Amino acid sequence: MIAIQHEDVDIGALVRNAKENGTGAVVVFDGIVRDDDIRQIELEAYEEVAVPELRKIAREASEKFRLLHVDIVHRIGRLDIGENILVIVVSAGHRKEAYEGSRFIIEAIKAGVPIWKKELTKEGGRWVPGEHPHGSGQPGYHIS
Amino acid sequence: MTATIRFFARFRELLGTDIQAPVEAGATLIGLVRRIAKQNSEGYEAIFDESGNFREFVIIMKNGKRIERGAAGITLVSDNDEIAVFPPVAGG
Repeated sequence: MIAIQHEDVDIGALVRNAKENGTGAVVVFDGIVRDDDIRQIELEAYEEVAVPELRKIAREASEKFRLLHVDIVHRIGRLDIGENILVIVVSAGHRKEAYEGSRFIIEAIKAGVPIWKKELTKEGGRWVPGEHPHGSGQPGYHIS
Repeated sequence: MTATIRFFARFRELLGTDIQAPVEAGATLIGLVRRIAKQNSEGYEAIFDESGNFREFVIIMKNGKRIERGAAGITLVSDNDEIAVFPPVAGG
């Protein structure tokens, strides 16, 4: 499942579904709205570009780390503290590939997928600066 | 001829998005975005430097494909093109 959506996702169902034949490890990354003295965060995406980018990242990770299954669900809209922002579920034959594949995917998303988030505070709001100043639409996520 | 300009994140807040803009034959990407951005001085200054060039961190796409800043002055805009302009990404 590769999706950008407003709705939350059932992580348990994703884990159950990730157990393909040959699975020896499932790794779940769950990015959560942290309480940084904010009220909510608001996420927006350039969906027509972001979804194909997520598919491309999933494909690359599967090939590079021999992953058996990949789910990436990135939420948009307004989210409260403690809510899921991004859920990545990967399965592989062994833990090493599963951990590394999961890490590759999150770093690639941060580097190049057109999604933005704004922290909503009592005073108003502030856009979260990107970690990769020139990143988007470029394959700049090839971590070693 | 008409093109669509889509701004995202802070740029969207300042300039709006899904803007339908008439384009003449030979119109360049940078010329079109300058024209639209001039409707709000804060939005213009967020995107362009004092020389009228895209700021270094600004990301530009035409029909979903990245356009390098240096090519924005020679990239032509045609009917039904979609131009996207946005700040560095911050998902995850």
